[in-house]
Amino acid sequence: MDNKRFEQLLLSVQKPGRYSGGEINSVVKDKKDIDVRFAFCFPDNYEVGMSHLGMKILYSQFNERKDIWCERVFAPWPDFEAVMRQNNILLFGLESREPIKDFDFIGFTLQYELSYSNILNMLELSGLPLLAKDRKDFTPLVVAGGPCTCNAEPIADFVDIFFLGEGEQSDLEVIDLYKKCKKNGKSKKDFLIEASKIEGVYVPSLYDVSYNDDGTIEKITPKENAPMPIRKRIETDLDKTYYPEKFVVPYIEIVHDRAVQEIFRGCIRGCRFCQAGFIYRPVREKSVETICRQAKAICESTGYDEISLSSLSTSDYTKLEPLLNDLLDFTEKDKISLSLPSLRIDNFSDELLEKINHVRKSGLTFAVEAGTQRLRNVINKNITEEEIIRTCKTAFAGGYTAVKLYFMMGLPTETYDDIKGIADLAQKIVDTFYEMPNKPKGKSVSVNISVSNFVPKPFTPFEFHPQITREEIVAKQQYLKECIRSRKITFNYHENKTSFLEGVFARGDRRLSAVILKAHEKGCKFDSWDEYFDLDKWNEAFAECGIVPEFYANRERTYEEINPWDHLDYCVSKGFLIKENEQAKLAVTTPNCRQKCASCGANVFGKGVCFEKR
Amino acid sequence: MFSERVFVLKSVRLLFTKSARARFVSHLDINRFMTRIVRKAKLDIWYTEGFNPHPYITFALPLPLGFEGKYEIMDIRINDDNAPLGEIVDKLNSVCPPDIRFFDAVEPIKKVGEIGYATYDIVFDDNGNVAQKLKEFIGKDKIVTKKRTKKGDYKEIDIKEKIKAFDIGVVGNETKLSLVLPAGSDDNINPALLIDSFYNDFNDEYYCYTVTRTSILDKNMEKFI
Repeated sequence: MDNKRFEQLLLSVQKPGRYSGGEINSVVKDKKDIDVRFAFCFPDNYEVGMSHLGMKILYSQFNERKDIWCERVFAPWPDFEAVMRQNNILLFGLESREPIKDFDFIGFTLQYELSYSNILNMLELSGLPLLAKDRKDFTPLVVAGGPCTCNAEPIADFVDIFFLGEGEQSDLEVIDLYKKCKKNGKSKKDFLIEASKIEGVYVPSLYDVSYNDDGTIEKITPKENAPMPIRKRIETDLDKTYYPEKFVVPYIEIVHDRAVQEIFRGCIRGCRFCQAGFIYRPVREKSVETICRQAKAICESTGYDEISLSSLSTSDYTKLEPLLNDLLDFTEKDKISLSLPSLRIDNFSDELLEKINHVRKSGLTFAVEAGTQRLRNVINKNITEEEIIRTCKTAFAGGYTAVKLYFMMGLPTETYDDIKGIADLAQKIVDTFYEMPNKPKGKSVSVNISVSNFVPKPFTPFEFHPQITREEIVAKQQYLKECIRSRKITFNYHENKTSFLEGVFARGDRRLSAVILKAHEKGCKFDSWDEYFDLDKWNEAFAECGIVPEFYANRERTYEEINPWDHLDYCVSKGFLIKENEQAKLAVTTPNCRQKCASCGANVFGKGVCFEKR
Repeated sequence: MFSERVFVLKSVRLLFTKSARARFVSHLDINRFMTRIVRKAKLDIWYTEGFNPHPYITFALPLPLGFEGKYEIMDIRINDDNAPLGEIVDKLNSVCPPDIRFFDAVEPIKKVGEIGYATYDIVFDDNGNVAQKLKEFIGKDKIVTKKRTKKGDYKEIDIKEKIKAFDIGVVGNETKLSLVLPAGSDDNINPALLIDSFYNDFNDEYYCYTVTRTSILDKNMEKFI
């Protein structure tokens, strides 16, 4: 297709800026200087994908190599997809506008389970066979990384290589091996066997899975001397880890339209529901100097007037005060606003509030997660009601009038008392506001409670628990609505259908590949978007494949059962998860990593919080 | 009433082109893009003094999405009265993507309200007879079409009487329709109206085309600067 015709078609769709490319800092290279072309695919739309930090890191890291050209690819929105199909436009890289089927690598990032159908759709739009075994040519190789690779078994049939853990090193090692194998005329199979020996590389086709009569897994068997288990890869020294000095700056407005500066990886807290808190262990911090240097460089290269610190829990950064002092030094001078997401209630000091006051004042958001102390102890969210109220007082005294609270519904051991506790807590915050003599004058308070549905995830102490059924969720949501008495409280909750599918995939096995393929054929895509999600189609797909989804989502698992992800080693031992689950049942909390080591197993890397002086 | 600081703010009119991939950038997005570019270029630009200070940037005439622009105008204010204007252009170009290029910086002479017309080139991929069809079409006494008003409803207008001047020429495989149409706050005609109307009349064949706004004129048909 010639460029003129292509551009004319672009003008017929919504937001052509999603597909036009040419943004600040996007990288265009001369093909003839390139050995390896890499299509970095985000299986959601441009606005979501461009907000993702991991893509920015790897895009820049790859493109810094002279022999690699990495381009960006996003899932085309259905209006443009229709245009593509009508005019036989194959899925292309934004930079070159050339079909990615001619690239060496097609890499997907797996950020959430509900993007799986989009991966199939994107492969189809590329003109490639969907199943890995049907792609006989050496290239393109379909690879995937990101948090969901800790159990990406549901898409194992479509992917050649999974990267476990952090990809900065294993990606490049695989690319180098690929160059060597291609030069020496090796086959795809030989290459995959070689690649499986690289730490952090999981080649699903090299493992056979057999099943018991009751549907559980009997055995996972490696072939061709593939490693067992396969251990995740991490960066051990974040001060030496690659971090981009440039981000591509989109023209169109995206979800997180600002510079992002990572400050540490991992989380010390060990909240038992939180997968990120376990799979990114151990905690590794960047130094204040590194953060300031990198943050400054990014602001200068992008022109962004806002920078956000990124981590799982900003206020757990050990040198937060000196960091903020140093950052504010240049952000105030350059009129850059600094935002601090992921603050915890228990170490939210007056000083910190004052620092944030230097920058833009918006609402405050706290993740309380559960309505009663008992349930907060079960999930190991070590914050007390007293701390919540105290923090709200501090915030109100500082001029804030809007508080947003995050909760979850469907947590293990949850009762209706715990649900009522959510409404009670919100009411107490409202009352606190009106009891304060120094409350902001002439203003009303607003407490927004946002309740999501808990989905048990692999590598968490709750991986053994059944997800509650959709009927139970509806009943609990209804009950909570009835418990709320004040008009100062607003209640937001999630559609429960998507949580169910997420729950199925999160702990699913390879047999789900057939279901995903079937659902794709029925037109399922953009499942995380309410306007496109169609549970009926998914249910048809499950039925036609003879698979009962509740088997994956709503079943209690024994400690002895072999899980679909048991051959993957994320360096948190199953023994530790079992111990934590038992503690949860007793509503006993576990101290955080800085207080006391809980012996999860993450110390095998010899670095990070495990070796800090306590 | 009295301020300790004395500001000598200098208004600077920047001229730039918008081509190739940049034509998919909407006016709203160009606005945001320019605030980033002036920051990136480290211009000593004047910031608004409200609660959220931002660089003060205004545009003379928004360019519709999909159009190329050869004579786009953006006004800024700089703090240093003595800053050489040529340097500003170089600084901006060094940080801009290739599809947006600055070519001049001047002190504004005319006010934005004096804008009266704009000139456009519409280039069609020709298969030999689009020129003839265009001549037929533009030769009509009236070209009546519907235009959306600011209120959101549609009113009928005759574009023919709005066309100040036009020219049709064929070069190689391309046919170029050049137009002068009213532009600015009083009366503004988007050439897309004319093209849509043209395709309504001749809906048998479709030719790819690109629209370029080549210049902005004042009410006396002189270059707006």
